[in-house]
Amino acid sequence: MRFWAVVLRHTCRNMLHTWKSQCMTLFTVSLSVLIFTFFYLIYSNALHIGEELDDDLRLVVYLDEEPAPPLQEEYRRKILKFDQVDRIEFVGREQAYKRFEHILGENSDVLTGVPTDFLPASIEVYPVRSLDSLSRIKRFSDYLQTLPGVLKVQYGKEWIERFYAFIQLMRVIIILSGSLLIMTTTFMVAHTIRLTLFARQQELELLRLVGATNNYIRMPFLLEGALQGCIGAGCGMGALLVLFNWITLQFAGPAAITLLPFVFFDWPAVFAIIGIATLLCVVGSFSAIRRFLHL
Amino acid sequence: MNPEPSPPSTMIDLIKVSKVYPPDVQAITDISLTVARGELVFLTGMSGAGKTTLLRLISRMEKPTKGMVDVAGIDVIKLPQRNIHLLRRKVGMAYQDFKLLPERTVADNIAIAMEVVYCPRSFIEKRTRELLAQLDLTRKYHTRAGELSRGEQQRVAIARAVANNPEIVLADEPTGNLDAETTGRVMALFKQLNRKGATLVIATHDRSLFQDTPHRVIELRFGRLRSPHEAPDQGGEADEDAPVMFEET
Repeated sequence: MRFWAVVLRHTCRNMLHTWKSQCMTLFTVSLSVLIFTFFYLIYSNALHIGEELDDDLRLVVYLDEEPAPPLQEEYRRKILKFDQVDRIEFVGREQAYKRFEHILGENSDVLTGVPTDFLPASIEVYPVRSLDSLSRIKRFSDYLQTLPGVLKVQYGKEWIERFYAFIQLMRVIIILSGSLLIMTTTFMVAHTIRLTLFARQQELELLRLVGATNNYIRMPFLLEGALQGCIGAGCGMGALLVLFNWITLQFAGPAAITLLPFVFFDWPAVFAIIGIATLLCVVGSFSAIRRFLHL
Repeated sequence: MNPEPSPPSTMIDLIKVSKVYPPDVQAITDISLTVARGELVFLTGMSGAGKTTLLRLISRMEKPTKGMVDVAGIDVIKLPQRNIHLLRRKVGMAYQDFKLLPERTVADNIAIAMEVVYCPRSFIEKRTRELLAQLDLTRKYHTRAGELSRGEQQRVAIARAVANNPEIVLADEPTGNLDAETTGRVMALFKQLNRKGATLVIATHDRSLFQDTPHRVIELRFGRLRSPHEAPDQGGEADEDAPVMFEET
């Protein structure tokens, strides 16, 4: 207990001694966390939206003839041979007619006199719900087109491709901002710790001479790094929450954002982000200690 | 039932210790020396004789080029860096260059030695005031060390060295900047510690300190211990084979 009280006192003294660079580091860490978490928030919400839209994601394979049960089994086998799917439904001509009639509702009388088998039979393929399925869906469609008796394969090609491109872009941005976060937290913290080490070089030498343990000397610097990470990430997350509230308020009302789920991180995710940023800062201070503190 | 291990009767034991600084400066040559628990020893010799080097070897600020150094039962040479605090907590050293933190107060400079061994704040304050009173520095409690005269800085360095009541006190020219009265105060403090059982090695070339002393006086000359049979300040070569232990007079 007394050890930690002493360590805390030394840490506070260090931080006050180099308060200008401490402020710069905190600002940089906060900004890096804000940039990373902002894009990550958009990405994670896009994933949710993708999952919602996935409910409607299906490939409709129109056939020239209504397949008999053995042929249905053959189609099923060939589809499963290409990829795992959530489910496969066969829609006969009459079933297709009934669906169409249901869709028309009050206007279904336009179908009067139209034969009930005028619509083609089809197979509805529901891919497994994942983002990878989005990337594979075009290849899947091309494959289904090659099956015998297939007239046409239909799916929401345009939106899927755009959505997938957006997700890919977000992934790249997240990787870049994540790299920025890692670099700033580790390098900036390492730099600040290095400044503190130089500023206190005389005192550290003296501490060693009067019998301080290695932990007694090192721990304040590790704690300094941890505090920089924790406070910096906390400020970054706070700023993100403010930004999130501003966005949701700004787009509340008629905008499309109200129709789509746009939610903030849950508490475990918030703590995980702060924890990771803290850990990165500790790594930064540890590397500075290893390089510049010769005990 | 095993009896408690008794503390070693020999506090400092140097066997055939030599120290060469690069490229080829022979600071100390084949010194063998034993200091018993509770002994007060004066280490004398001209400037450059090797007094400071010898103290630095005892406190493991330096490693010898060859030989063995044993301090308070610790093999100083084999002591790993991570355990060096075990030795330093037993040894209080007043450095010739004081090693004070000029931006910190006198009290802070003394307290630092007690903080590293986790003494309570109240004890640290009490002990600091007590030491400052003994060394006539009471009014300087809150003064920054950089604002003190050299004599005052020297006394602060001594106060820090003895603050923890260490088993061994090494003092390197502790009265070099002091007047006669303050020298008397410092020596009184050292003798008080010695009476309490501490082992003291005082490196000095101030003859007045050990002129009529009942304690052992060891003279270093050109990095070697001078033979007791040799006339002082003759500049003659010491008997290399015989480790010298001046008897108490």
